[in-house]
Formats: sequence, C-alpha cells, structure tokens
Amino acid sequence: MSNRITMGEKMKTYLKHPGSLILMLLVMLAAVLTFIVLLFLIAYILINGVPHIKPSLFSLHYTSENASLMPALINTIIMTLLSLLVAVPFGIFSAIFLVEYAGRGNRFIGVIRLTTETLSGIPSIVYGLFGMLFFVNTLEWGFSLLAGAFTLAIMILPLIMRTTEEALKAVPDTYREGSFGVGAGKLRTVFRIVLPSAIPGILAGVILAVGRIVGETAALIYTAGTVAKVPSSVMGSGRTLAVHMYNLSSEGLYMDQAYATAVVLLVLVVGINTLSSVVARKLTKA
Amino acid sequence: MKSKAWTEKFMQGVFFIAACASVLAVALICVFLFANGVPAMKEIGFVEFITGKMWKPNNDLYGIFPMIIGSLYVTAGAIVFGVPIGILTSVFMAMYCPKAIYKPLKAATELLAGIPSVVYGFFGLVVLVPWIREFGRTLKQAGITDSSGNGSGILTASLLLGMMILPTIIGTTESAIRAVPEHYYEGALALGATHERSIFTIVIPAAKSGVIAGIVLGIGRAVGETMAVIMVAGNQTWIPESLLKGVRTLTANIVIEMGYATGLHREALIATGVVLFVFILIINFSVALLKRRSEHE
Amino acid sequence: MKMKKFIAVCSIAGMLAAAVTGCGSGSTDSKDSSASEWDSSNDITVVSREDGSGTRGAFIELFGVQEEVDGDKVDMTTEGAQITNSTSVMLTTVAGDEYAIGYVSLGSLDETVKAVKIDGAEATAENIKSGTYKVSRPFNIATKEDLDNEVAEDFINFIMSEEGQKVVSDNGYIPVDDVKAFEGTQPSGKAVIGGSSSIAPVMEKLAEAYKEVNPNAELELQTSDSTTGMTSAVDGSYDIGMASRELKDEELSQGLKATVIATDGIAVIVNKGNPTEDMSTEQVKSIYTGEALSWDEVTE
Repeated sequence: MSNRITMGEKMKTYLKHPGSLILMLLVMLAAVLTFIVLLFLIAYILINGVPHIKPSLFSLHYTSENASLMPALINTIIMTLLSLLVAVPFGIFSAIFLVEYAGRGNRFIGVIRLTTETLSGIPSIVYGLFGMLFFVNTLEWGFSLLAGAFTLAIMILPLIMRTTEEALKAVPDTYREGSFGVGAGKLRTVFRIVLPSAIPGILAGVILAVGRIVGETAALIYTAGTVAKVPSSVMGSGRTLAVHMYNLSSEGLYMDQAYATAVVLLVLVVGINTLSSVVARKLTKA
Repeated sequence: MKSKAWTEKFMQGVFFIAACASVLAVALICVFLFANGVPAMKEIGFVEFITGKMWKPNNDLYGIFPMIIGSLYVTAGAIVFGVPIGILTSVFMAMYCPKAIYKPLKAATELLAGIPSVVYGFFGLVVLVPWIREFGRTLKQAGITDSSGNGSGILTASLLLGMMILPTIIGTTESAIRAVPEHYYEGALALGATHERSIFTIVIPAAKSGVIAGIVLGIGRAVGETMAVIMVAGNQTWIPESLLKGVRTLTANIVIEMGYATGLHREALIATGVVLFVFILIINFSVALLKRRSEHE
Repeated sequence: MKMKKFIAVCSIAGMLAAAVTGCGSGSTDSKDSSASEWDSSNDITVVSREDGSGTRGAFIELFGVQEEVDGDKVDMTTEGAQITNSTSVMLTTVAGDEYAIGYVSLGSLDETVKAVKIDGAEATAENIKSGTYKVSRPFNIATKEDLDNEVAEDFINFIMSEEGQKVVSDNGYIPVDDVKAFEGTQPSGKAVIGGSSSIAPVMEKLAEAYKEVNPNAELELQTSDSTTGMTSAVDGSYDIGMASRELKDEELSQGLKATVIATDGIAVIVNKGNPTEDMSTEQVKSIYTGEALSWDEVTE
C-alpha cells in the first residue's frame, strides 16, 4: 500500500514469513478500524450539528429563546488562557529541573515522577471534588472561573510536564555540549539552545492540554458553576462550551443547539491544532 | 561573572520550586479528600462501606461494592477493546503510514481528544446502545443467555470507553515509538529481519516505558470517565450477572447523586472519590514498581 | 428518523473510510432492524431517575412505589431499573427502545415518545387542574423568612402576578389561581436564584419576562437541583431556592418559607411502537417494583 514499486518483493518476503504477514494485517486492520470509528464519530457530530448552526447562536447574550453559545465560547477561551497561564510555566520549569538539573539517580526525581503520574491518573471528577472542597469552599472563591482554572491547571500540569520532559530528552546532547563548548552557561544553554529545539514537543503537550480543558465537564460543574453569562470578573461563575452542552442536553429541550455546540467545539479544536502547528513550524525554522 | 552565577543559582531554585508544585498538589488533594471522606467511612464502618452490597442512601445503607466491581469491569473491558487496537494503530501511524495521509489522520486523532465526553455519551446512546440491544435480544432468542439486557451495560460502556481511550494511547505510544533511535530499526533490518519483526521485537520493546505510560494514562481515563459512562452503563447498583447487564461505576455514583446529597450521604460520595483516588494510587505504584524491577534486570 | 440518521452516518463514515485508506472496505452493515414486530414477552426496560431527584420523589410517592417499613419510607424501585440523571437520556432511551418505560416532566414531553393515560386520564394541563390526572407535583421556590433583597422580593411578586403566571402556563405548566396584576417597585440590584433543574427552564423565562418590566435588576440563575437549592437558600448563597418537590420538615425548620409557583405533571412514557395506551396505577407500580418483568405480565 505504501510503496507500490516493491510490492512484488514485499509479497515474497511476507510469504516467507507468515508471522510478519499476520502482524502486518493486524496493524492494518487496527488502523482501519480506528479511523472508521473516528470518521463515524465526526460524521455523527457534523450530521446532527451542522444543520442547526445559525448566526443567532453567536449572539452575545444567552436567552431561553436563543440558547446562544457565545458567552460559553468566551468563557472557554478565558478558562483556557487562565489555566495555561498557571500550568505552562510550572510544567516547563519542572520539566527543565527534571531533565537538565536533577542528576541521575536523584531520589527527588522518583518522588516527582510518581506524583506526576498520580496526578495524570486522577479522574476529573475527583479533581472536581477537590476543587470544590479546596478552592470553592476552603479558599472561599465560590463558584468562579478562577476556581475552575486552578483546578484545570492542576489537571493539565502532568500532561505538560511529561511532554516537555520527553521533548527536552529528545534534544541531542551534542547541542548542549556544543553550547557549553563555546562558553555558554547552563541557564543560557537551556533557554537559548535546548528549549527552542524542544518547542514543537512542548506545543504538542499544550495542544493536548487545551483539548482536555475544552472538553472538560466533570471537573468544572463543581468549581466554575453553570451560569450562562460571561462573568464580570474571574471571580464570577461561568460555563464553558462543554458544560454548556451538558446543561443544554440534560433537560432535553435544546438538543439541536447542543449538537451545534459540539460542532463549534470541534471547529475550535481544529483551529487550535492548526494554529499551533503553524506556530511550531515558524519557530523551528527561525 | 558573580551575578551570572547568582542568576544560575536563583533559576535553579525556581525550577526546583516548580518541580515541587506537583508534589504539593498531590499532597493537597490527599489531605482534602481524606479529611472529608474518611470520617464518613468511619461512621459507616470501613469494611461495610467497601464490601457492602446495598446502596440505599435514603435508608442509610452505604455499600459501594457494586460500584467498585462496576468500575473494574468497565475498565477491564475498555482495556480489552482499546489497548490492542490503540497500540497497533500507533504502530501504523509511526511505521506504516504514507506521508500523504499521515497529516489528516494525525489531526483526526488529536481532534478526538478534544471532543467532550457528553458527545461521546450521546453517540453511545444513539448508536451503540441500540446495536447492543439488538445483539442481546438476538442472543436471548437463540437461547444463549437468559436475559437480553436493554443495551445499556458493561459491554456498551466498555466499547465506548475503548473508543475514548484510543487517542490517549495512540498519542503517547506513537511518540514513544518515534523516540526510539532510527538505527535500532535499521540495525534489525540489516540483520535480515522483516519490517514487522524489527518493529515488534526491537522498536516496541525499546519504546516500552512510553507504551506503558500510554496504557496507564488510558486506564486512568477509563476509570475516571464519568459523563459518557452515565449515559450508556445503566447505573444499576447491583452486581451484574452478565456483560449485557447494567452497572454503575464509582464516578457515575458521585455525579448522579452529588447534587442531592446532604450530610452523611454527601460525605459518603466524597468517600467514594477517595476510594477512586486510592485505586489510581495503587495502579500507579504497581506500575512504578514494575518499571523499577524491569530496569534492574 | 433516528434509524435514518444512523444509516446516513454509517454510509458516510464507510465511504470516507474507504476513500482515506484506499482499500475498499466500505461494506459497513446497514441492517434494518427497526421493522421488527412487537413481542410482549421481551423484558421491559425500566428507566428511572436518580435517587433524590424531585421527579423521582414525586413519581414513587404518587404510584405507591414508596412503601413504609417500620416507619421509614423505603423506595421499592426495582434494582434492575436503569438510572439516568438527565431528561434527554430518558427520552432518547425510551424513544429508541420499544420495550422501555420511563417518566418525564410534562414540560419536557416531546413527540419522540408516547405518554400513556393513567387510570383513563390523559396527561394534559386541564386534567391535572381538574384533578383527573393525579400524577403531579408542585414547583416550589423557597426564601429565608428574613430575606433582605428588594430585587428578589419584587421578582417573587412578579412570579405570583398575572403576568408571571401567564409565562408559567405558556410553557405547559399549570399556573396558580387567584393572582393580581403586577405592580413593581423597580428596585435595582442583584438576586441569585438556583436549584432544581426541572424548574430552571421556566424560571429562565420568568427572569427574562421580569427583566423587561424591570431592567434595573440583575438576576443570576444557577442550575443544580432541589436539595442544593434549599441548602444554598439556607446558607444565603442563593436568594431564592427552587425545589421541584415539597420541602422537607428539616428544611422548613431552618427558616425557609416555601411558595408554590406552579404545578407540573409527570407523564409516564413508552415507545411509540408500544401498543399500550392506558395503564392503571397498579400496573405502573408493578413494573417499577419489579413484579412485572415483561409487557405480557403487565397487560394481563
């Protein structure tokens, strides 16, 4: 399939190694299955949602006559930016610490790795409970964007740490040695040489994180609340698109708008993905 | 020169503090969950809470055993469906995929990660549930099972969760495979191994830690998934007799009843969250142990 | 309708998949099983709302699914009942499963399912008002007795006025009798309303109608559930709490004052392919307590 010129030769080797043939077929089968499922899902959303996308859905105010998704869209963007603002610096810095500073066999690395893996395994509903107990009740922030954003920030922290770590590790040591060789200090090496070459990997992590933020519901209903307005400050309650969808669908009165919201969410995710890959390409060229 | 050394030290401190953030977060989560959940467990009785088979909050019966079983079943099902397909697909993405179609495929998997679980839930409800329902009724007519179920149950939830963990597994596994140095693969080819043999005996073992990390992440997502599972699992608080019967997972238990709960009931739900949390801890520690052992070998 | 959509999805996905992978595996099966015959020996799919939901509370009380054992009220709903916390899942399940039964608020009833008559009475607003259809529950709002919020008070006056009750009846709920025309005091400020998700849709309409009368006020609507509505009204985070059930004694003793703003019917729904038109209270009870497991056991 991938290379027609050597097809005949390939067939010969496959006949000689039936095990390889079976593996190849399995791989193909799995891939086809996965992508059928993918397309099925995407088609399902588009078919149910696209006919219901109307300009009125994007009006600035939500009313019961017109379940506009604009406030939720704006809230989603605010929520994403806030959470990234908190999580990205922490995530990148701690990855730098793990890869560049902590020596091999450092006990502390083990502890951090274990905690990040724990964090990444915690279900979002548990984050929601924790956010409610800590940010909403104990810190008395109430149901607010800020409480939601901090909860999400903790949730995506391990994701960003992990991907940044992988990206930093993938930078060849020769880069570092070269930089040290011309007399640059460690900090300079990290920020000028290592980090820039790791940016595509880091961005990939950020994209994944944005995806999780945008699609999150369980952690937010107990922390950011469900008000269908853009709050006047980050201390106000507001629902993101996914929560908006959840609310629209739970009473069964606005199913069409719920599917339309899903389409908008999809478009949003596609947009973010393309944007970041463009940015990544620009950065790696520079 | 001196100020530079000072900045170096300072930034090292900053990095260290940042690294501590995750430890702090875990500590905070532990403290708050346990402080709110453990008293309820004590009041109900720890053993009764974990092994009790009756969950009737209105009559002060709080046994979450059926939910524990439910979470286990559904997660195991998701692994059965999701992990093999996910890993094989990532092999396809990393080693087979023609360049021309790689980009759209990659974009599609990334897209899936961003679809909110409510959408998955409705997809399951409208597409998967009727399938499984027909399947169950056909089985019943053929005399294979006594009870057909009604489409919502372990099997449906497992299938849906299997789909939902695919992007997670594919993403991490693919990058792990790509991180294996090219010369491993080429070396194997040069020794006369076929494409497949090189991949499955050289590349994947070399990428093992990344692959495992992906699976663990996937398991985590399956255990913790809530909104979609609620819609397709049936949510009965019993111990199911067959794969076609409904179950309630730990997460579903929290979301379904949290809104109405007051007093001990509410604390019992937070305690359910604690149990879920402990589950995740156990999974992570055992994976960490496994890794350490395999590294020592 | 659903089936058609599904087949469309199926075939499009199949075509796309075939086009993308290049190896024509487009033969996704499109079996048409919607035409299957009604077979009353099949298991009933019992769908219920979650424990504690106002809708469920009213339902089990009115149909006698709740029994008193040693002075405690015990919910006898069968263990096998599928539980959902969302009206739309309830509707979708019943619309898609020929052997399913469920119940929804009259305001959420749509044409995808069939509401059965209970003891010969159809589930309509008139029948509820006249008392022939008995399955109904009050929509309550609760405030603290010492409520100190002009906007909230003015808004409550609006709800209990002719204008407010017109909004209620326009949305398919049964209004309260004996109301006067609204005389607002136009206060400015903010009031937080929250609670039952069953009342939220009509409350949203009421809030919008009120804003037209009094643009000075700002109303914030939080959708949660009856119990949260009441506890939050007690602790002051909501000025007005909403409950789609009667208030419990313990809630009243904490200083809450309840006002019925409307009455809502609960419709018992079955699939459109189900030939059943009329059911007795006893029959519904026997299904929900798990005595009757298939439709032929019910119709006997």
